[in-house]
Amino acid sequence: MRIVFCGVGAIGSTAALLCRNLDATLVFIDFDRVESKNLLSQAYVKPSVGKNKAEALKLQLHNLHGVKAESFGVRLTRDNVETLCKGADLLVDAFDNQDSRQLLSDFARKAGTPLVHGAVSADGTFGLVRWDERFVPDAEDTQGQATCEGGEHLPFLGLLAATLARAVQDFRKHGVKRDAFVHPTAVTPVPT
Amino acid sequence: MATINITFDGRSADVPVELERMISDTDVRRIAVELVRSGGVPGLQRFELREDAFQHYVVDRFRGAHGEERIYLRPKVPFGAC
Repeated sequence: MRIVFCGVGAIGSTAALLCRNLDATLVFIDFDRVESKNLLSQAYVKPSVGKNKAEALKLQLHNLHGVKAESFGVRLTRDNVETLCKGADLLVDAFDNQDSRQLLSDFARKAGTPLVHGAVSADGTFGLVRWDERFVPDAEDTQGQATCEGGEHLPFLGLLAATLARAVQDFRKHGVKRDAFVHPTAVTPVPT
Repeated sequence: MATINITFDGRSADVPVELERMISDTDVRRIAVELVRSGGVPGLQRFELREDAFQHYVVDRFRGAHGEERIYLRPKVPFGAC
């Protein structure tokens, strides 16, 4: 199985690490670079600062965990989405903006590829894991809205990433698609 | 019988409601304010909740396993890399 993580920031990078036990090829797509401030909320380590996030995560998985992965250090666009995602058996959306989520959703629906989304509110008090059949990307309240990159919400982000990884693993092992609400103190399965 | 699930301030709760007709998203937000103010949402009572507290919240509508209407009022979740 080929699992493609689109966006490997706080949620994507942490969820990907929690999928390293799977008998699957993990693939990472992200154009961004690791900054020092990311070390507080994302799964990156100090030697990765300055590297492309997709490449850095691939190297960390290989060097620290002995797991092989693939990486594409590019921005996902309408021109390359098919090339990058067409071989996927499962897509995982952890992007940080509405346009990229919509682009991925459009591709997944057209290609018939399963897609699960992980998303978090700006104030770090709520997140959800939802399969694409029931997902509509939310817009930011204001463009460029500040996010919680300072590590303040790290336990909550870990909870959300773990819930996303659980959804990936349940799909991989049992073929089920479970949605969930994630609050700072609880994970609630959502009836579907 | 429908269920409104309200997520606010890091908590979430179900509230059963009788709806005689389809209600708009604006109505859902208005009803939610009244429910939270009145203590009708377990664990979420706020007497002084602002009228526009849910202005930027999203309304999701699904059918449950037995066809029942479930309405979710929740914060926006635009981010994955915060």
